[in-house]
Amino acid sequence: MAAKNRNPVAANPDTPGATGGLSASAPGSAKGAPYLEADGVGFAYTPGAPVLQGLTMALARGRLACVLGPNGSGKTTLLRILVGLLVPSEGRVRLAGTPLEAYPRGALARRVAYVPQETLAAVGFTALETVLMGRSPHTGALGFESSGDWHAAREALRRTDTERFARRNLEELSGGERQRVIIARALAQEPDVILLDEPTSFLDIKHQHGIYGLLRRLVAEEGKTVVAVSHDLSLAAAYADRLVLVSEGRVAAAGTPHEVIRPEVLSPVYETPVEVRTDEATGRPYVLPRPAG
Amino acid sequence: MNIRPLTPRRYVLALAGWVLLWLIVSAVAVVLGAENIWAWDSWEKARDVLTLRLYGVLTAGAVGAALALAGLAFQALLRNPLAEPYILGVSGGAGLGVILSSLYLTVMAAPVFGFVGALLTVAVVYAVAQRRGRLEPYTLLLTGVIMNAFYGAAIMLVTALVSPERRGEIAYWMMGTISTFDPRWWLVAVVGGLVLAAAVLFAFLAKGFNLVAVGEDTAGALGVPVDRLRLVTFVVASLVTGASVALAGPIGFVGLICPHLLRMALGPDHRRLVPAVVCFGASLLVVADLVTRLLEGIGGVAPPVGVLTAMAGGPFFIYLLRTRWRRKIEIR
Repeated sequence: MAAKNRNPVAANPDTPGATGGLSASAPGSAKGAPYLEADGVGFAYTPGAPVLQGLTMALARGRLACVLGPNGSGKTTLLRILVGLLVPSEGRVRLAGTPLEAYPRGALARRVAYVPQETLAAVGFTALETVLMGRSPHTGALGFESSGDWHAAREALRRTDTERFARRNLEELSGGERQRVIIARALAQEPDVILLDEPTSFLDIKHQHGIYGLLRRLVAEEGKTVVAVSHDLSLAAAYADRLVLVSEGRVAAAGTPHEVIRPEVLSPVYETPVEVRTDEATGRPYVLPRPAG
Repeated sequence: MNIRPLTPRRYVLALAGWVLLWLIVSAVAVVLGAENIWAWDSWEKARDVLTLRLYGVLTAGAVGAALALAGLAFQALLRNPLAEPYILGVSGGAGLGVILSSLYLTVMAAPVFGFVGALLTVAVVYAVAQRRGRLEPYTLLLTGVIMNAFYGAAIMLVTALVSPERRGEIAYWMMGTISTFDPRWWLVAVVGGLVLAAAVLFAFLAKGFNLVAVGEDTAGALGVPVDRLRLVTFVVASLVTGASVALAGPIGFVGLICPHLLRMALGPDHRRLVPAVVCFGASLLVVADLVTRLLEGIGGVAPPVGVLTAMAGGPFFIYLLRTRWRRKIEIR
């Protein structure tokens, strides 16, 4: 598995903070300085029914973090707040030390990319046109693309190994191919941070590892900061530097895979017994669900 | 599929081509008609006939451009390929507003009431079809059908209460006509100006239309102020629809046919579609109006242009529903 040698976690595990902080040093940032942080974030779609409550987490630059948690625990809401689509009702999000609301829309879109978990909108755009949309925050009002924009789009296709699909309609591609194109669109934004909502849902095991291998490369080779929501605990543990376990809108646990992927941490949150083993090849933990009762 | 870079030069060249198409079609429509003009005819007669034809051509151009532009905008923002002013009931709402204004207030206020009727309809259709922040495509279309039925009943009620003479006028107007009996140049200028302003605005919003068509969260994360874009687009599309209905009555399916034919030719990029749909919509309705005038020359009576577009648009709608866009609607 490609992640083994590139992942700094096993060699240098950090200790999580008391609030579930994920402070970690990385090249290009001050030691321990958080790059993306949520500080006491709360949010409710309807008054009196909070989805997030006092959620605090921080991530240093150049890390891959996975947000875990049961259905309805607030993972997607957290991601939408981190990208600025939702404004928290309490607390605040900071990017590079600056509150998110201080960034103009365009400036924020040039720094943070979002890959939502959306059903396919079959509009008829080709893969290349889809990736070019990622240049939108960089283009003018009428949206004319420069040769630099086209170069960035081609480069994003190359990095995600989707060049051969460039002229094919997005609807004609398989789920895994399409997801790589959508990630290419995020790369074409040339962001510092990429947020992904369940990027491997509906994908087979080959494409799941393909996507996470790609995310790992983006972190290791380009210093991107990546946050992905996942329901697959073992997959997240295999690739992530840090895990954040969210339950009922709060951080239930956060830290390295070995600190979070533990039966006494997971079972109460998922309300189901689990068994955790360690993959001898990678040294990473993985989860075996145990039938209830 | 054209996926060459969209440069300012290509944009201007394409725009010039579309404008040229509209100018040629319009020139042909001014020259041709039910009544021939001969070299030995008096200058006054030739001038009067050509002036009336020019009025009809400009009216058809403004109305066609307005409806096609509104159709494109509704389809993009509602993320529904079957949305258009007539099917959504927006034209019906505008029609009721125009009729009420003409009967009980003043003709001058008709465009304003047309706009109010159109905007109220969009608000109702949007509110009813929305569930948890997402629009349900079939609910959207069904709500439009119900709104159309409601406006049809309301217009029938109003019609029943007026004199038999006005009743005939309203019934004919509701079919959608490019009438040259009572030229209202000022209204053509107002509608034409509105359409031009809307086209310029939508050209600047086209990048956002592309992104919203892909997904609202995607658009928001790429820096598009989705709520503001939606509000501005619905208000402006309702405005041009209301104004066009005040000018020519509710003419159906232009807003469906034009965007789809152009998508087949140019692809889904709204930056290319906005300038194209304005000129193509204008040209299409000018041609349709010319056909009705030529039929008048053969049969003595000009069928309303709205009947012609409905006869062409109805089957086209079914074709889209059954084949080309079926899967796309289901996916959403």
